[in-house]
Amino acid sequence: MPRVSVRSRTLEPVSEQPLTLDSVLTDEAVLSTYRRMFAALARDSGAVVDDPALVDIAETLFAAFAEAGEEWLTHEQMRFACRAYPTDQFDNRLRVLKGLGAIREVFPKPNQLRYRASFTSVVGLMFIRRMMDDGGQSEMHRLLALEDLNVADPRTTMEEARQSALNLARAFRLWALELITLTTGTIEELREQAPKLWGTEEIARRAQSLHGTILTRWPELDRVCTDLRAAIYAYSDASRRAAGRLADSAGTTRNLTLLPTETWRTFAQTASRERLAAVLDGFVFDAPAPWHDPAAIARAVDEAPRPAPAQPTPPRSTLPDPGPESSLDSSPSAALERLTQMAESLLGDASRVALADVLGSDWVAARRVLADLTTVDLRPELPYRLVWSDGLSVDPDREPAWLSHGYLERAS
Amino acid sequence: MTARQSAVAHALVRAYGPARLGAGVPAPPGMARLTRPDSTGEALPVWPDGATPSLLEEHQVTPVPVERSGETRRVLAAVLKCCWTDLSVDPWPGDPAPVELVLDTYRELIGRTDDLMRNWARGALRRLHDSAWIVLDDGVVLLGPRCALWPVEAHAQLQELVRRLPEPERAELTVVGDADIVAAARSGTSDPPPDDMVEIVPESAGGGGRVEGGAAEFDDLLGGYDERRRAELVAAFMVVEHAAEPVQEARFAALRDPALRHTLGEMLARRGRTLIQHRDRWTSGYDDGVAAAIGALGADGLPETARGPLGVSERAVLTLVLVHSVAIPRAEGLLPEDSWLSPHPTPVEELRRHTQLPIGELESALRSLRHAGLLGQVKAGEEAGGYVPGPQFHRLTPAARRRLQEELILAAGPNTPLAAAVLARRSAR
Repeated sequence: MPRVSVRSRTLEPVSEQPLTLDSVLTDEAVLSTYRRMFAALARDSGAVVDDPALVDIAETLFAAFAEAGEEWLTHEQMRFACRAYPTDQFDNRLRVLKGLGAIREVFPKPNQLRYRASFTSVVGLMFIRRMMDDGGQSEMHRLLALEDLNVADPRTTMEEARQSALNLARAFRLWALELITLTTGTIEELREQAPKLWGTEEIARRAQSLHGTILTRWPELDRVCTDLRAAIYAYSDASRRAAGRLADSAGTTRNLTLLPTETWRTFAQTASRERLAAVLDGFVFDAPAPWHDPAAIARAVDEAPRPAPAQPTPPRSTLPDPGPESSLDSSPSAALERLTQMAESLLGDASRVALADVLGSDWVAARRVLADLTTVDLRPELPYRLVWSDGLSVDPDREPAWLSHGYLERAS
Repeated sequence: MTARQSAVAHALVRAYGPARLGAGVPAPPGMARLTRPDSTGEALPVWPDGATPSLLEEHQVTPVPVERSGETRRVLAAVLKCCWTDLSVDPWPGDPAPVELVLDTYRELIGRTDDLMRNWARGALRRLHDSAWIVLDDGVVLLGPRCALWPVEAHAQLQELVRRLPEPERAELTVVGDADIVAAARSGTSDPPPDDMVEIVPESAGGGGRVEGGAAEFDDLLGGYDERRRAELVAAFMVVEHAAEPVQEARFAALRDPALRHTLGEMLARRGRTLIQHRDRWTSGYDDGVAAAIGALGADGLPETARGPLGVSERAVLTLVLVHSVAIPRAEGLLPEDSWLSPHPTPVEELRRHTQLPIGELESALRSLRHAGLLGQVKAGEEAGGYVPGPQFHRLTPAARRRLQEELILAAGPNTPLAAAVLARRSAR
């Protein structure tokens, strides 16, 4: 098969679709089929279109001709029908189609302005499109059906039948060889070409019936028929082996790609509950067995979302109320003044008083005074000191019952 | 009991829940026997060296997620409060308690009284029942077999928890006393249970019982190792068996070191399990032979277990999710990884509208599949999102994965040559 290098081409905004790597790959696959189909006819390896859009132009043109009626089309009308395509592509296509006779002048004379299309080319294009769909699979079906009719026709001669059997044997042999090569090649390529395998059983069956017809009618074609039979078996075998290799290579999910999306969707949408469930027959899955650790249970209880308890807010006046803040004298000397005042009131004229005499029996009040006096004692700038002696008197009837002996003195 | 039978028994419990044992039938090795007074009982595997799945937390490995874990555990606490009446003995088997008392206790615990709370609590009770933590039967709740697996050291913590749970405030005069409800339920168990209750609590339910045996059977395997290696083996065993995702080889010595890994494989084999590798990560799954043995048991041959295999609608929904989340993205080339897990959620609408499944069945199947970790829910906005195959699909062996693919192809394209090749290969074996 001639390898064709795709010539550099200008990227024109032919269609709305953005040019992605995927679309380039698809284009390349389409082109490779075109090249293979016309390899037998091409004058040189560059003779097949290098952009699938060019075939679309031809198809658009043929459709326009079919609509046109007896008047056929002028150059301007053809250009209008193909307005979606760039001018240079259109001109190129028209030149080629005219050159090969697919589009011709209505009357072969100079300055002819009207053009007509060839029926043969349109049929050819239909064939091309079908070949595109399944790589020739359905053509093989049709061919076999036709051949079947032919050999059954009483007018068919033995020579024609021999030719037909020879051709079919050759086609099957090539097909089988291609499959064998694929089977021994990379699994990716095999997967890509897998559609060629579909429907093989049906084709092999048809071929065998054709072979049977020929052999019954012309027993003398025995040798040719043996060849055909061998080719059919080789083909069936190669196809089975390729499918088997696909199934073996399965990995774990890769073969799911081998069924088209639509098959999967149809299955999901139409299969009954039982048919769906049968897929998982015999598969063993774990029963739910979460572990609830005691610590986790305790944590869950602690984290229980408790609703906030209903706590009514205390009633508030609607008038502004700054509170008793202003009554506090916060100047630094205020505390000293208060302490001096308190010490003086306790001492009176004396220079030293016993605490037991001035504190009184109300311990709640006394301890506040004691706290103030301790503050006084600890402030060196104030001229008063507390002096404690070692003695301790205990009297259960008095308040406080335990009394240490201390004195408040003026510092000298 | 041969090693093989014991492995199958362990796998059965993992697949279908605690096994029922007839009168006097001993538990398989490595399982504790929860014996009832009439000498029937249930069998439940125990873990080596007193480990529990809490070990995963110490190793910072995520365990299989618990659906609505906080709520479920609070409801379990409420059940414990009601059923564990004598704190001086082990919590299992405890005493039966009416469901209403449990709901009242739960209400007191969370301080809410609305209907929504009640529905949630009922959902949690059902999940606890499905996972054998409690036994729900005809308005009565019992502690389930799994409660017998709480280690003795943790009982003090549970006692403290039960003590501080508030008592429900109940009207002095209920129409029927709690004890009467329990008594009525117990005498009535000979009636056929309602459809959704597969469970038939034996006559002796709640009438006492004791835990027997319960040493893991690995001593001959672990005995040769020093304490550190032994601990590493036990840690790896617990982690591959209970983690949600495959764990990294580098993090566990018993997975890194081929000799230790071999012993780990032997430990798993006794439980009917096998190690499964995903590049540098490991998890465990059913051994292919054991899974086939379980599959071949059929519905009749199955010993009595708490749950039984997945129902028809569950399996159907799971297949649908596999088709939409794996097969179709695969066929469209959107799924690069060769795996049964998928980032492409199956929209719930697709399942509701474009399948042959009734909606009610679909919803309950989705719920139980989610609970079992067979489906994961993907939330995205209000409408988007859906379901993907759950973490259990990490646990399929390569052979099981291949078989799943083949079954799907046979079901969706029975007339393709690929299906023919699959069938031919199977018959050749």
